[in-house]
Amino acid sequence: MTATFPDAGTRQHSVGSPVSRLGGAERVTGAQKFVADVRLKDMLHVKLVTLDCGRARILDVDVSAAYEVPGVVHVLTAADLPRPVPRFGPAFADRPVLAAGETKYHGEPVAAVAAATRDAAEAGAARVVVRYEALPAVLTVDAALDPAAPLVQAPELRPGDPLARTNVLRERNFGWGDIDEARPSLVVAGEYTFPMVTHFAIEPHGAIAAADDDGLTFWSPVQHPYLLQRMMAELFDLPLSRVRVLAPDPGGAFGGKQNPKFEPLLAFLALRTGRPCRLVLTLEETFQAVRRTAARVRVRTGFSAAGDIMFHDIESDYLLGAYADIAERVVAKSNYLACGPYRVPAARIRARAILSHTTPSCAFRGFGTPQINWAVESQLDEGARRLGLDGLSIRLRSLAAKGEPVVPGDVPADGQWEQSVRKAAAAVGWSTPLPPGHGRGIACGIKSGATTGLSQSTVRLLFDGSVLVLAGTSDMGQGARTIFAQIAADELGAPLDRIRVVMGDTEIVPFDLQTSASRSTVFMGNAILHACQDIHRQLRDMAAELYGVDVAAVTVTDGMVRLPTGSRPIAEVVQASLGRLRGEVIGNGVMRKTDMPEHPLGGDPAFYEFNCTAFEAEVDTDTGEILIHKHITVGDVGRALNPLQVESQDEGAAIMGLGHTLMEQVILDGTGRILNLGALDYRIPTTKDVPLDLRAMAVENADGPGPYGAKGVSEGALLCTAPALAAAVADATGVVIRDLPLTPERVWQHLQVRRGPAAEEGAAPPRP
Amino acid sequence: MQAFDYARPATTAEAVALLTRHGDQARILAGGTDFVVRLRHGIETPGVVVDIKGLTDLPADVTEGGGSVRIGATAVMADLCRHPVLRARFPALVEAMSVVGSIQIRNRATLAGNVCHASPAADTAPALLVHDARLVIAGTGGERRMPLSEFVLGPGRTALGTAEIVTAAELPVPARPLGTAFARMTRRRGVDLATISVCCSVDADGVTRLGCGAAAPVPFLVTDISGILADVNAPGPARDVALDRLIAQARPISDVRASREYRLAMLRVLSRRALLAAAQRLAASQNGKARTGGADRGDRA
Amino acid sequence: MTTTRIELTVNGTAVTLTVGAHRPLLEVLRDELNLTGTKECCAVGECGACTVIVDGRPVNSCLMLAVEVSGRHVTTVEGLGCAGRMSRMQQAFLDRGAVQCGFCIPGMVVSATSLLEAEPHPSAEQVREGLSGNLCRCGGYNRIVAAVLAAAGEAPEETR
Repeated sequence: MTATFPDAGTRQHSVGSPVSRLGGAERVTGAQKFVADVRLKDMLHVKLVTLDCGRARILDVDVSAAYEVPGVVHVLTAADLPRPVPRFGPAFADRPVLAAGETKYHGEPVAAVAAATRDAAEAGAARVVVRYEALPAVLTVDAALDPAAPLVQAPELRPGDPLARTNVLRERNFGWGDIDEARPSLVVAGEYTFPMVTHFAIEPHGAIAAADDDGLTFWSPVQHPYLLQRMMAELFDLPLSRVRVLAPDPGGAFGGKQNPKFEPLLAFLALRTGRPCRLVLTLEETFQAVRRTAARVRVRTGFSAAGDIMFHDIESDYLLGAYADIAERVVAKSNYLACGPYRVPAARIRARAILSHTTPSCAFRGFGTPQINWAVESQLDEGARRLGLDGLSIRLRSLAAKGEPVVPGDVPADGQWEQSVRKAAAAVGWSTPLPPGHGRGIACGIKSGATTGLSQSTVRLLFDGSVLVLAGTSDMGQGARTIFAQIAADELGAPLDRIRVVMGDTEIVPFDLQTSASRSTVFMGNAILHACQDIHRQLRDMAAELYGVDVAAVTVTDGMVRLPTGSRPIAEVVQASLGRLRGEVIGNGVMRKTDMPEHPLGGDPAFYEFNCTAFEAEVDTDTGEILIHKHITVGDVGRALNPLQVESQDEGAAIMGLGHTLMEQVILDGTGRILNLGALDYRIPTTKDVPLDLRAMAVENADGPGPYGAKGVSEGALLCTAPALAAAVADATGVVIRDLPLTPERVWQHLQVRRGPAAEEGAAPPRP
Repeated sequence: MQAFDYARPATTAEAVALLTRHGDQARILAGGTDFVVRLRHGIETPGVVVDIKGLTDLPADVTEGGGSVRIGATAVMADLCRHPVLRARFPALVEAMSVVGSIQIRNRATLAGNVCHASPAADTAPALLVHDARLVIAGTGGERRMPLSEFVLGPGRTALGTAEIVTAAELPVPARPLGTAFARMTRRRGVDLATISVCCSVDADGVTRLGCGAAAPVPFLVTDISGILADVNAPGPARDVALDRLIAQARPISDVRASREYRLAMLRVLSRRALLAAAQRLAASQNGKARTGGADRGDRA
Repeated sequence: MTTTRIELTVNGTAVTLTVGAHRPLLEVLRDELNLTGTKECCAVGECGACTVIVDGRPVNSCLMLAVEVSGRHVTTVEGLGCAGRMSRMQQAFLDRGAVQCGFCIPGMVVSATSLLEAEPHPSAEQVREGLSGNLCRCGGYNRIVAAVLAAAGEAPEETR
């Protein structure tokens, strides 16, 4: 990947270079401190008490036996909490601190034991006796929509909501044009399902809470430290200045660590015991805590004879868990762009967020787009097959060109997406002859970047020219810290190893709304850029005074202060100007994107994250196993501030996409208990599951709103994995599959049906 | 996990004495790759864990004598996979062991442990059955031997008494040239538990044996003496009929890993492939030269 | 509960501890010896985040009881470098961009180090096989394999 620079400066630019990751050395030596590595004096260990049951009515909680375990200090139950039980959540304040009267999903905590040692906490938790009775649980879209279904949430939690007596949390209607007026040559109808999958970050969830007279302190690898701060301040009626969040870098998050889950519970324990309380979940408990929203999507798509998309009529039902978390937003944001990166004359999208007695679904890389894209992109391939076109040409026909609308009246296509598509097609060898038994597939997708947002940064240029960048982003592997340093390096002329990026402390670092939606390069990147430009303004004033020139004649570029008479390194100007008393130059920067109340999403997309993914694959028709020969992903990234990190993130997202495409699904029994908890039976890709040839590429046209023309990255490469691979499988075998994952057994089942009803008993493959 | 006492006896007699004394409260620890998981999940709550890795009187990893190869109970699979005697005499067993977990697991897991854990999907069971493996068991009454086929009684259940230890597995050295092959089906290409596994052996007389795993509550062995399955030139349909008859006793379950229907179908597919590979290997060893290898696509019926 | 006294060598240093027999090696390394580089994830030997080297072999420390390593040599990620400098493998991981969130990395680097000790010139296939017990959810596998090959002095494959 080559980066080009509009004007060649005299020094090597850091931005655009694949510089080594900041924090990398700590990670390879084991010095990096994750939350489970944090030790505090007098810290108590916390273990949750949960039921081995789906939904249940809690009859009685007897903690007396737990207190007999030496070292057990306190057992928190709903009885310890204010009445009514406090509830919290980023969008709906629906989640109770502890299960109140009823557990609504397998693994919802009923109590929490704090003890001096981990063993004592475990032993104590095992001795808490909960009398309960299992209740019928709503586990699927159809079950939830049944008028006789039990309500997942009490209507009193949703006052004034006309849907309060249903399990539909929210219904969104988007669309344009009139689909009934369309005169298609072909209408294709399909029903697609996307299963429950879980994040499986290698770092299980955890947090620490401590309380003293000053207030509350949290250690949490939360992606949104300032949101945690605000929510805890509200919950405990404290000023923000007395709630401090320290956010260790997450060991992988992928959206699952965006919003508070157990911090409130820990705060109550810390207040009660007077000691810091640390909870680290097991992997099994982590699976019970977070997942992606599942979906069932019914689409009717009209095509012209030549293959133009004439309309999409979409009924999109997303299955949330027992508490909304941020999942309603997932439904809204992804379905708003359900029609994808195309010119679609008419659309009707009815999207519903439906509650169920399952793990609360939350944000997960892609934020709803992999699910809807699975359906809508697959429709394009079905249309292509019926019209005798191929998957590439049908997409190119309708692909929106830069400046053309994808949703009429909204931000138009912001990239030359065709370049990415052609690049992907060329890399997979689209027009070359296919070896026998192989098939090809290609798919596209867009995801909206942040629609509103605020990031603030302070940059401190120190006396010797070294730099501190204060930025509240969470670096969870995407390398935010590194690119922020690269920006400062170039703007302030400091070598990378003299820049420190300070993150993860709400007491020191200014406000950042959140780390999500691939927003940080753009939002925080711009805030840092503006902070540096603030420093430039001060430097210009300093130089004007120092050298007796007009400030209009001074510029700062490429790390140098440029005067009519010549150039000076920034550090030299700083030292000369500040003099004997020393000091520093402080710059502040902001990027703010304000609300648009009339917009269905509250704001329009700051940018689109566009991806094209292509596969060449082979299927063992006796076993149903898929062998991927080529996996290509191309992203329209604007500008790769760090090409190495962009490629790593895209490769990683591609492999994660293979996970939900080939092997991941959360399996429940009829009562809502998760059957495949833990690493033995929930499969994610290993080194041996990587395609024979996986390539992540990017198109850079410097046409994004971020620093140097950057757009957001990190989510694109899993938006299109499933439909592209399914298309390759269909191309290779003639078999069309509309449910994920494409396990060997599922592919095999479909192959049996294709061979003829006499081949196997049971004509239709089982639906999940 | 719950606390327990730990003993590391130096002799088999001591170990048996410990097991006798503590009875139901004692559990044996060898590699720990299954056992420690059970401890962690609270499925096992022993009072005493008896670590047999300190026993000085167990057979060495691999010894040959008296027409048998003996594999010591504490030999780890990583070492067994590299052992020249096993690679030469029982290549299918080596194939099976080399897919048990990851290298980290194989550096600890023992063959005896895999047998005693008695999972219906134990990767080593099909090969052990095909080779008529016996367990050598030490107890208060001395030493006894038991065929594997009688040792495993059900999922997680064996005929091992409370005060007994498996000290070795014994595999008779094949009397006549054999071609063998191991195959298994998993949910992903990476490390996984078997959805179905088979081990096939074919000898010069055309006797065909098929060890099947994850296809019934206990791994089972079926034998065909007609010779038709070993004959690559026999007509496909006739061989299929013979194969179906052979694997008719499979009773796989549907669980989170696979459905019954898929397991039965894959048993058939894998058996065919393993048969072909075994027959080819037998021919190669008899001719002393390698044939073109790999299951030919055209041979899949 | 009875405790057992164990003597072992950790990262080249002799260590004496008194531990309950039920304590996994992983916990004892992290909690008693403050060697928090080795990570806990699945606790059932499936993910490899807890990989350490015992007597020259990579093993899952979550599946070993501390009492089992009495008399043995244990190497953790903290013991890979030498005199304040990173090992060649650690440097290769950094140079090749193999590190993202970093949580799997200690286990990966330890596994990879062991792999090269057993097989100094592995093929990419052998590296994948050798690291198949280490999960990376950030999906850094290709770069990790490239790093291991680089540390071995092999040219990286073009397509990876």
